Amino acid sequence: MSATKRVQQWSTFSRMWYLYDAQWQDPFHSAKILSPYLTGQNKPIYHPLNDCGDHVVVINSREIALRGDEWKKRVYFHHTGYPRGASWTLAWELHQKDPKMIMRKAVYKAIASNLIRRTCMERLHIYPGSEIPEEIKSNLSGQIRPIMPVPKRLQEYSKEEIDNYPKVFDFPNDYVLR
Amino acid sequence: MALRSLTTIGRKISEWNLLKTTAIFATNTRNLKQITQSETSDGTLVIAGNYVPSDRASNLVTVKLGDEAPCSACYMCKLNLDVKHTDVLILSQFVRTDGCMLPRRITGLCKRQQKRIGTMVTMAQKAGLMSNINPSWSHRDPRKRYRHKKWNSYWDETTIKC
Repeated sequence: MSATKRVQQWSTFSRMWYLYDAQWQDPFHSAKILSPYLTGQNKPIYHPLNDCGDHVVVINSREIALRGDEWKKRVYFHHTGYPRGASWTLAWELHQKDPKMIMRKAVYKAIASNLIRRTCMERLHIYPGSEIPEEIKSNLSGQIRPIMPVPKRLQEYSKEEIDNYPKVFDFPNDYVLR
Repeated sequence: MALRSLTTIGRKISEWNLLKTTAIFATNTRNLKQITQSETSDGTLVIAGNYVPSDRASNLVTVKLGDEAPCSACYMCKLNLDVKHTDVLILSQFVRTDGCMLPRRITGLCKRQQKRIGTMVTMAQKAGLMSNINPSWSHRDPRKRYRHKKWNSYWDETTIKC
């Protein structure tokens, strides 16, 4: 095997580390994007017995956005196994207790249910803020594009931007400003 | 039927003439009232209503349609913009300083657009995108809100029922 072929072989089977910024992203739509990276299904060498999934580092999982009023409508069920051990937790409660849990559960659901699912989940690293440990940051080599545009708050615009923005209507005569 | 159409034509012509005459006498001065409250040295409270020029007049966008006849559509229908609830620079023009939606007699919108814009203002406020235009007693920071309201949420404009 020539030197170039050897290097090609190494890079084909090497693991990539991707960064994904979850700020203002829907976790359930993001999970559909992330799951092929974790299982390796985005690669031409993919085979169910071929362990070729990549690592994905999700940051800002505290800043995820749910659609509409899903924070109070979505319910997570857990059962301890004992009698009367069932519990139902709303999404906002779960997110308050653990800001990584909703993202993790969404990705876990998006990966097909089989014996290598837990192994794939080991390659998902979730951080609630934008801080990453240095040993993980040094591995990063790629970034996954966010799926939703991040909205800008009104207080993030400067006064000039707000004043110079085209106005669609003017107040009628004798309107009392308040 | 014929009579009705004739009367409508007559009304349209008269409206058109009215518009023409106003166009000759030209500029419509915008005078807004601003109520100011001040206290003099001898303790008398002075509440004054001053006329102020509108700062929106210079940046106003107008749409010119092909025909010269007055169009009954409202300005948002004419502009034909795809407004989302994240377009806070547009939506903030329709609210008072306390975050209330302006009524239709002031915005001059058609019923459908008033409903759409009003709903999108609510969406933007629920998503915490316009939290600096709020009543004085409210939490400016969305993270200090109650229970489920503290987390980020996004909204779908297709759910507006009009």
